Amino acid sequence: MKKKNRRVASAFYFMVIPMALLFFTLHTLPFLQGVFYSFTNWKGYGKWAVVGLRNYIHIFSDPDIVQAYGFTFYFALFATILVNLFSLLLAMGLNARIKLKSTLRAIFFLPYILGNLIVGFVFKFIFANLLPPIGKALGIASLSVNILGTDNAWLGVLFVTVWQSIAFNMLIYLSGLQTIDHDLYEAADLDGATGWSRFKNITFPLIAPFFTINMVLCVKNFLMTFDQVMAMTGGGPGTATTTVSVLIYKRGFHGAQFAYQSADAVLLFLIIVAISLFQLFVLEKREAKLA
Amino acid sequence: MIRHRRKETLRVRTLVLSVLAVGLILFPLYLTIVIALKEPSDMVQVLSWPKNIRWQNFADAWNMVQYPQKFTNTFLITIFALIFTILTNSIVAYAISRNRKKSRFFNVMYYYLISAMFIPFAVIMLPLVKLASILQIDNIAGITFLYVVFGLPMNTFLYSGYIKSIPESLDEAATIDGANPWQIFTKVIFPLLTPMNATIAIFTFMWTWNDFLMPLVLLSKPTQQTLQLSQYVFQGQFSTDYNLAFASYLMALLPIMLFYLFGQKWIIGGITKGAVKQ
Amino acid sequence: MKFKQAMVLTMAAAMIAVPLSGCSGENSASGSTGDSTAPVSLELFSTKSENSEILKSLAADFHTKNPSVTITVTSPQDAGTVLKTRLTKNDLPDVLSMGGDATFTELQSAGVLEDLSKESYASNIQDSYKEMVYDVQKDAGKALYGVPYATNASGVLYNEEIFKQEGAEVPTTWDDFMALCKKLKNDGITPFELTFNDSWCTLPPWNSMAPDLQPENFTDDRLAGKTTFAATHQEVAKKYLALLPFAQEDYMGTTYADGNKAFAEGNAAMMINGNWAISEFKKVNPDFNVNLFAFPASNDSSKNYVTSGVDVLFAVSAESPNKEAAKQFVSFMMEKETAEKYITDQFAFSAVEGVEQEDETVAGVKKDIANGKVANFPDHYYPSGFDLAALAQEFAKNAAEGKDAEQNITDFLKQCDEKYDAVNVS
Repeated sequence: MKKKNRRVASAFYFMVIPMALLFFTLHTLPFLQGVFYSFTNWKGYGKWAVVGLRNYIHIFSDPDIVQAYGFTFYFALFATILVNLFSLLLAMGLNARIKLKSTLRAIFFLPYILGNLIVGFVFKFIFANLLPPIGKALGIASLSVNILGTDNAWLGVLFVTVWQSIAFNMLIYLSGLQTIDHDLYEAADLDGATGWSRFKNITFPLIAPFFTINMVLCVKNFLMTFDQVMAMTGGGPGTATTTVSVLIYKRGFHGAQFAYQSADAVLLFLIIVAISLFQLFVLEKREAKLA
Repeated sequence: MIRHRRKETLRVRTLVLSVLAVGLILFPLYLTIVIALKEPSDMVQVLSWPKNIRWQNFADAWNMVQYPQKFTNTFLITIFALIFTILTNSIVAYAISRNRKKSRFFNVMYYYLISAMFIPFAVIMLPLVKLASILQIDNIAGITFLYVVFGLPMNTFLYSGYIKSIPESLDEAATIDGANPWQIFTKVIFPLLTPMNATIAIFTFMWTWNDFLMPLVLLSKPTQQTLQLSQYVFQGQFSTDYNLAFASYLMALLPIMLFYLFGQKWIIGGITKGAVKQ
Repeated sequence: MKFKQAMVLTMAAAMIAVPLSGCSGENSASGSTGDSTAPVSLELFSTKSENSEILKSLAADFHTKNPSVTITVTSPQDAGTVLKTRLTKNDLPDVLSMGGDATFTELQSAGVLEDLSKESYASNIQDSYKEMVYDVQKDAGKALYGVPYATNASGVLYNEEIFKQEGAEVPTTWDDFMALCKKLKNDGITPFELTFNDSWCTLPPWNSMAPDLQPENFTDDRLAGKTTFAATHQEVAKKYLALLPFAQEDYMGTTYADGNKAFAEGNAAMMINGNWAISEFKKVNPDFNVNLFAFPASNDSSKNYVTSGVDVLFAVSAESPNKEAAKQFVSFMMEKETAEKYITDQFAFSAVEGVEQEDETVAGVKKDIANGKVANFPDHYYPSGFDLAALAQEFAKNAAEGKDAEQNITDFLKQCDEKYDAVNVS
């Protein structure tokens, strides 16, 4: 490793520094402020004092926050698994010389371009007005009512989230699958490898990097779920579908809770970093093993 | 024989996929269109095609959400965010990725920006709202500006990956010809970035057009609101009139759906390229 | 070649300048409002979507009289949260139309509202409603940070035609009420249309029963920590659950909008909500014959108050650059003629002296209101941030899903106490 001792042209600094300063002011600074507020009792206005770790201690004994975290993890776990499963299946289905391939691909990608909020409203209507009569006709008790008003409300939110998120992951898997050389499959065919063993031994190892990207992106996005919940349940019934982001929004601007929810936000940040690093570490290690 | 069987499975596969596409993806859209076109009295058979098409729904929704104004706001935000993102973020990524090995400063910058990807918006939301009101950037121009700055981590990541694949010998040759870094970037590198520019343009477009949370907390003045936000804001007022509400949803979806209809190949291609480059 | 470099720099400079120029433009537009002839634009923020139409039309009337002032009415979904966001941003709307509730208390105690007690119309307001505003203000004495405008009545809305058909009398005691529900149900009529998919709709039954059944000084004692919900609200919770079997199928899945429509189309005999819903019924069915009676929570009919509170008060932002125009608008709204238009449209009661509601649809409670047999909404006295609606929604959902009643009540009241204490610290 020979260190090049060439001087970096000053122009390069000019290219980076203005944007970096802006980024610091508008992104990092609020982040640091948030961390600072989390140690105070500030209301967002008026007088304040430093209260040390009080907010953090309070968080762990606050049933609302504990419940919101519980729900968010639970939801993110299911959403990540389902989205990856279905998007991979769909990508494999589309990765063949079938008719209408590009039309079908375009249709399956469509949900990605539609705004979460409006999609949520449309499905809210479907759950409230279209499904119950069908559920009744079929005699399925849990479907004969608006599921958004029951303990199953989260399934409704999950369905819509998965419906919308499959599109993007499908496309990433599809581009991964397209990098696989067709000769490999033919060789495998000759060896008699079909179906599952072909997938396990050839397809999956080759698309593992794409799997890593998708897993990391999914978990991060789903831990931040907000739009769908606001559109469909507003966090209800009760607080059953309140995610951490929804809680921060709903309570954070509530005078007494500005600093308190800042602590909540910092905690969310730490958790997301921890999970993402863990994923990258584990998945990359596995990738290396597979390759 | 094997060939024949394969053909058969392909046909089944096409059929299954088509049924899924129609049943799961197109059905909600059909529903939205049908409801938007119906009269309130025609809602008993929700799924049937409207007996009389009621264009009035669109006219009412148009006035109610003040569509022209909301559309213009959204359009301006999206277009300017897109242009400035591509112009500024690519320069940053170029300077960083070309000098990471030579200078610690740029390497630190790289990791600084990349690590910010892990900060969810909800985390900076509360202080940002305070800051934005102090700096008076809680308006259309300000939010556009924020989009350009907030896209930096992700875009630096995407651009750097791509710039790495452009041989540095190109830069060196240009330097020998007497070009300075700005000229190298504008004349040599930027034109080569076109595929990545397309990818990032698409991401930025989708993000800014469809974003809800940031406009929700920042754009409180009615005249400053975006199309997405106005759908939320007017929820209460649509009340029982689903026809009116759905007409309004459809009008908010329509621009981006048209964009997709015509640019579909390009959009899917752009995102695929972005993904493969990583 | 220098040119290119300069261009990139200009671009960067332009980017930095964009937000600055954006706001400076806006400042100059709103800053020059000193003289009354310059065009002024006011924002009127309403926390009730039900009144946004009438406010728009009255704002238009005001504009006709004062052509230099244009008023935009905003009435967002989840208005309470939006309003708090704007408080955090120091960006309050010029004029607020909101309930005399905890959100108002929060704004008032943050010191961002203008004291309107010196305005000429302040003396023209019924004292009882001024008292209600004093009650929810913090450390403000007789200053008036919100002008009570319209008052509401919460109780039982009933379909007069169905009552006539069934030969039903308006019940005045809990036992009569339950007997009526049973009779209706036996006759194949759904007694209640409940719309618990919207969490706030789970509050009206609570708000109607709690004043009748809770101990005298509950509000103050609870605030001081001398009593608990668990010790005092057993009966309320029990009666709450007793109502649910008489509701339509899937009351947890019914939204306020859908339920109003179903009720206006005659699908149920009663709805436990308030006068504010009437204008929504009339949108669906203009000829709908509806009336309102006080919720008979107690068997002692003298205790069955009409729950009535300040549904709408006007407040003016202390930092509004257009304070004078804002005050002028409030003054216009307080004029007798305007107030009459408002309550006629909204089936509400006016806080303005001498303005009376003549509509038949609320005749059932008019006498009680005139005689002062009213109790304010108990939830207006709960601390801001105590989300009773979420708790009540959970309580009703558990009941719908068959949770043991005894257990459900115990858990619900325990939760009420815990969450109340959690926000009652500061």
